[in-house]
Amino acid sequence: MGDGRVSNSGSGGKPEWLEQYDVIGKIGEGTYGLVFLAKIKSNRSKSIAIKKFKQSKDGDGVSPTAIREIMLLREITHENVVKLANVHINHTDMSLYLAFDYAEHDLYEIIRHHRDKVNQSINQYTIKSILWQLLNGLSYLHSNWIIHRDLKPSNILVMGDGEEHGVVKIADFGLARIYQAPLKPLAENGVVVTIWYRAPELLLGAKHYTSAVDMWAVGCIFAELLTLKPLFQGQEVKGTPNPFQLDQLDRIFKVLGHPTQEKWPTLVNLPHWQSDLQHIQGRTYNNAGLYNVVHLSPKNPAYDLLAKMLEYDPRKRITAAQALEHEYFRMEPLPGCNALIPPQPGEKVVNYPTRPVDTSTDIEGTISLQPQPVSSGNMSGSMAGPHVMQNRSMPRPMPMGMQRMQPGIPAYNLASQGGMGGGVNPGGIPMQRGVAAQGHQQQQMRRKDPGMGMTGYPPQQKSKRF
Amino acid sequence: MADFRTSTHRAKWIFTPQALKEKYKEANKRAKQALEKYGATRMEVDVDGSFSYAEPQSDAKANADKHSRPKALKTEEEQLLRAFYEFKIQDVCDAFKFPRKIQATALIYFKRFYLQWSVMEHHPKNIMLTCIYAACKAEENHVSAEELGKGIEQDHHMILDNEMLVLQSLGFDLIVYAPYRPLEGFISDLQESGDAKAGHSEELKSLHESAKAEVDKIMRTDAPLLFPPGQLSLAALRRSCELHKTIDFERFLKSVHSRQHPAHGTSELNVSMNAIDGLIGKLETPTSKDVKHIDRKLKSCLDPTSHEKSKKRKHRSKESSSEMHDM
Repeated sequence: MGDGRVSNSGSGGKPEWLEQYDVIGKIGEGTYGLVFLAKIKSNRSKSIAIKKFKQSKDGDGVSPTAIREIMLLREITHENVVKLANVHINHTDMSLYLAFDYAEHDLYEIIRHHRDKVNQSINQYTIKSILWQLLNGLSYLHSNWIIHRDLKPSNILVMGDGEEHGVVKIADFGLARIYQAPLKPLAENGVVVTIWYRAPELLLGAKHYTSAVDMWAVGCIFAELLTLKPLFQGQEVKGTPNPFQLDQLDRIFKVLGHPTQEKWPTLVNLPHWQSDLQHIQGRTYNNAGLYNVVHLSPKNPAYDLLAKMLEYDPRKRITAAQALEHEYFRMEPLPGCNALIPPQPGEKVVNYPTRPVDTSTDIEGTISLQPQPVSSGNMSGSMAGPHVMQNRSMPRPMPMGMQRMQPGIPAYNLASQGGMGGGVNPGGIPMQRGVAAQGHQQQQMRRKDPGMGMTGYPPQQKSKRF
Repeated sequence: MADFRTSTHRAKWIFTPQALKEKYKEANKRAKQALEKYGATRMEVDVDGSFSYAEPQSDAKANADKHSRPKALKTEEEQLLRAFYEFKIQDVCDAFKFPRKIQATALIYFKRFYLQWSVMEHHPKNIMLTCIYAACKAEENHVSAEELGKGIEQDHHMILDNEMLVLQSLGFDLIVYAPYRPLEGFISDLQESGDAKAGHSEELKSLHESAKAEVDKIMRTDAPLLFPPGQLSLAALRRSCELHKTIDFERFLKSVHSRQHPAHGTSELNVSMNAIDGLIGKLETPTSKDVKHIDRKLKSCLDPTSHEKSKKRKHRSKESSSEMHDM
């Protein structure tokens, strides 16, 4: 992977890799960067989501989040996990662009559509199929020792019209971790998971946690699919250095009751339970009953599965593999590959809206951060799309999905031979001399400036150390 | 972690000895040709991301015509220089007290990098530090480039400048499997095997320690590009057992092996372990004195002008630092 062809067209700053796409506009924004929707010029029916990572904030090279996401996605292949189609590099600001096949929908939008637009619940077939596929992908990840750590509706994508219509894709691996022999407790890497989907052991300060945190999140998502409302909608206290969130715990206890040492023996070892600074132990809760909240009979297998996902003790919580075997999935309606279209004729098919696209943000404007006139060739001609809306701001993080690679995308080819290319030229990297297109002069100057970092080796005696 | 059997490590980064030789030869040949053509081998990353050989100064060209063209490194010299810097990787990682996993990851990155490039194209000192930096990022032990640079009195900008090049040359295959973890597994197998002698935890501990030291050596050979990590760790354990003479390695190997492959004997494994042994036997640990002349040769290949100019400006130290860029 990696874009083998990192050469430049030389025409004033537009990287060559960008030439293969028509960029339609921005579809998402998050702390990590921006996401753009693009079409492949050679195959206009093919949509791609391009995720641009910001440089790491402290000027410390390539974003670790990007590195983590790429390195994990390189090792995994599963129909219910987004697949990385290509990695592009912008050398001017050392930013990375990840290209995924585009997924038109995500659970956040699907749930919102049912709640705010059509005002009706999601049909049982769709809920079950989504849940099954989500668990199927998660079971694969967990068997590969990968914890996602940030499962939430907006990170669960569903493919739109096309070959993989209605297929669920788990996306956004920026927080994912391999949990075999962590070098340091996972919790030290910063607090994870949007608090509404955060497992109680995390909220109580568990240092070493497991794949069970993902199953808690799946439980929350399952309930949200059923009721169209977030199950535990706590108020987040921002800026605290630890994962403890009193209001979130309070919401959970109100529905599930107080955890007890009897049900969860290791509870007493958790830092925030033990220290009990906020007197969480002393509160009393009138157990509202989960079944009341999700409007399911306790005898309903759907309820049984949900309750097992929301088990307090992470060691007793159902695993993804076990959940796939649950009775719920063996009764009608059986889960299917296309979660959006029930196989029974006569079932109502919901037409979900397409993702809004903000065409006012030009990907190129974000590519060249050099203080020089950016290329004249803007993305005109690619602006016209059927679902284009001007100037929509999109505050929430936007994931993107991806399926099989299309022929014609020169993806992954840099490394595809394990040695990256025979021939005289590693990786087919063009090695032309004196590329110097005019526009580069200024940049060349900047590179030579010691302050910019290309130069300034210490005097030789120091290098003697090596 | 993800499964080794389905990993990019296994699929793309384990080679035959012949293939490895070819790659080293190829990179060397390419750099030699560049030297003939351009008078220098140093590669520069342009702002647009393309690579090009450094433009030699006109007087260097003239010099080149006057038979003073720098001599290219031989593949053996490249190998020696790599060995020198691989030892340095362990040195630096020890100095920072990084876990062995990071050390191993950095070493594997370094080895993989120089399957694509000649040391004449990218100076191994820069690549060594960048590999350590990248390994820290990948292994969740983030150390800022500045911190790393400071600790070893090197300009950290050089690390950042080379980071993308290294990541790209590795094809972003950043998850690598080191032999230390399978070794731990074998040690705990030994513990459970009930071998009376192995039962002593003191004995086992020192066996483990010496096996780790053997893995450290293995990591500096070509073996990590030739064998899967499990075999590397077995070879290390065998050597350690020979040292300790308290544990019957053959018996242990048979018991472990029969559990996984009841139908097969251990002869194939023995062939691998013997080959790894052979590589350790040939392992060189060159001193800076040993590589001094190679390094001088390398400097003139990378940038023939630097040599000339540093002579001219010997006493103008302020400027010399800017002249020394890229060595």
